[in-house]
Amino acid sequence: MTGISPSLGPTPAGPASDRQRVSASRRLLRQREPLLVVLTLAVFLVTFAVNSGFGTSGNISFLLADAMPLAILAVGQTIVCIVRGIDLSVASILGVAAVSTGFLAQDHNASVWLMLPLALAIGTCLGLVNGLFVVFARIPPIIVTLGTLIVYQGIQLLICGSQTVVTVPTSYITLGNRNLFSDIPYMLVPGLVVTVVMAIVLRRTSWGRSLYAVGSNADAAFRAGIRVNAVLVSAYTVCGMLAGLGGLAFLVHYDSANGQSGIETNIQLWSIAAALIGGTTLTGGKGGVVGSFIAALFLEVTIEAVIVLGVPQVWDSAAVGILLLAAILADRYQTSGISLRQALAGPFHRGPQFGHEHGTGRRR
Amino acid sequence: MNIATQPPKPARRGLRGLDTNTRWLLSLVGILAGELLYFNLAVSSFWGGGWGSSNSLLGYGEYFLFTSMMSLGVMFVIFAGDIDLSVGAMSGFAGVMMAEFHLGGMNIWLAVVLSVLLCAVIGLIQGLIITFFKLESLLVTLAGWFILQSAAVAWEGPVPPYNLPSGFESALGTGTIAGTVPNQLIVFTVLAVLATLIVHRSRFGRQLVLVGHNRDAAAYAGVRVSVTRIRAFVLSATFAAIAGMCVAATYGTARDDLGPTLLLPAITAVVLGGVDIFGGAGLVPGVILASFILGWLTPGLLQDGVSDTWTSIAIGILLLGSLTVKGMSDRNQGTTLRERLRARLGSDPPSLPPTPANTT
Repeated sequence: MTGISPSLGPTPAGPASDRQRVSASRRLLRQREPLLVVLTLAVFLVTFAVNSGFGTSGNISFLLADAMPLAILAVGQTIVCIVRGIDLSVASILGVAAVSTGFLAQDHNASVWLMLPLALAIGTCLGLVNGLFVVFARIPPIIVTLGTLIVYQGIQLLICGSQTVVTVPTSYITLGNRNLFSDIPYMLVPGLVVTVVMAIVLRRTSWGRSLYAVGSNADAAFRAGIRVNAVLVSAYTVCGMLAGLGGLAFLVHYDSANGQSGIETNIQLWSIAAALIGGTTLTGGKGGVVGSFIAALFLEVTIEAVIVLGVPQVWDSAAVGILLLAAILADRYQTSGISLRQALAGPFHRGPQFGHEHGTGRRR
Repeated sequence: MNIATQPPKPARRGLRGLDTNTRWLLSLVGILAGELLYFNLAVSSFWGGGWGSSNSLLGYGEYFLFTSMMSLGVMFVIFAGDIDLSVGAMSGFAGVMMAEFHLGGMNIWLAVVLSVLLCAVIGLIQGLIITFFKLESLLVTLAGWFILQSAAVAWEGPVPPYNLPSGFESALGTGTIAGTVPNQLIVFTVLAVLATLIVHRSRFGRQLVLVGHNRDAAAYAGVRVSVTRIRAFVLSATFAAIAGMCVAATYGTARDDLGPTLLLPAITAVVLGGVDIFGGAGLVPGVILASFILGWLTPGLLQDGVSDTWTSIAIGILLLGSLTVKGMSDRNQGTTLRERLRARLGSDPPSLPPTPANTT
């Protein structure tokens, strides 16, 4: 708002008028993805300056690999958030996929390439159930997925019984912890493929565009001829499918799985945090998977940096909490065309209001 | 209670004449009665050692009453159309704070009161952040969960505090009055009556429901929307802290990880109790009944030989199934089967998916 010309007067700050008056660097940082890349590199470099061990190739490839299960989940979560939903059950879907494939690998020495379609299929089925409940029982997504979180968690425990997956074939360990070449771990491949494919699909296909339409305004999307129910079901299904893939990634990376895998680290909440830090909103119709992917890396680097910098590990979830708060505040700043000072001043700032919030408080 | 703006319908006799909330309350009474009847007849050990023992109808309370208290707290926030995910971590943090105060030499009851008050202040801060910056309550309280959990882990150190005074453990935990009524039940009853009076009999309660139903309408009606929402967060944090005291007293130790596991059951009870997750509709007695249904379900099924896992699956299915049924009955309220069939098969446009515009 600083460079506003008098002739523009009280014109509401929209994205178009924004573009004219902010400088190129400001404009770049107004987008979430470049900002996150800068932040991630900054955190990395500061930590590297303090402790040079942080920058070793081994650590870099560990960071990349360790972030992938979360990144894959965050991509799925983003798709659901775009249609104004939320999926809490991804933790249990990850768990079910991890233990089912894990036991087959442990007891029958099953190949990873056989387990990949299985994990995807498990995730797809469980995600489909979420979507059908959301659409046809018309229960709010947060409640549906809370319920299925509990149910799928039970299924995960049933599959486990009293056993856990402790030994997996060497091929799994190689995939989860070795490098493809130099610092690039095998684990990065599924994460990158999923992100790039989904980014293209969201931008270039009619299904991808209809996700945004449904998330912005379901009524309008329906009147425009979009099959809203089918789009909603498919969003949850894809999210479940990716959570299944995340389960396999979890298994190969940690070489173990048990009845509490996923839910014990509250990975569903981390995936929501990553999606939101990446620029997606809970109010739908906005965001993208690239931001979520970078945000997952950012979270991983930050958490490891916190440990390396000598802060006790117990504070890592507090760090995520603070980052989440910062991200949603930044979202206000970035999307509303107001200055940072105005955003921090909340309702006391003089200038264009950023959104009349009373009417939009109802989630679905 | 139900302030939906539906045109008056011709009065119907029987169940169809009742409003949605009341019908749901009656169904809950039926479910609870059926559940207890089944457990009494089919599971001989459900009554165990009679009224007095910990293995009886009232004695099971110590496994779930703290969750019920937490439900009552979250309920205020959900009534206002928000959600509070931090209550689980809040109760764990409150317990750790109380125990550390006590180990620092403070009188145990002073420590209890001080921790509850401090948690209320944390709830106030969360509410302020949410209303001041106009942020989503889901996200702010999620961040609050993470921060509180870290704080609790850091404060308790490697060895969680234990060895709390036996007077405290008995008063808020496992103690009973005359060997029959658990002390926790008394605490819960006081909180439940308080919550019912606040929501259904006070000016604040009416404002709370209106804010949850329609914030714009509430603002134009002169209700201070932000203040009302903040108050709900303070109440939620206070109830969670009291629940945390009871958890600490029951288990004889204060640990960070005892709290967050209670969050999902607590929210489940609120939703099963018939409170609209978007706010603005529901009955407090429904939440109380639902928390007892869920509370007795676990020991009952365990006594019945059902494994822990199946019990939790049953709770999830109960949540989804009951809400599906409730949603259908709400939408079909006041119509007959023939009217519904005609609407579905006739030339009316197909119904839209739920959006903020047409859910209520």
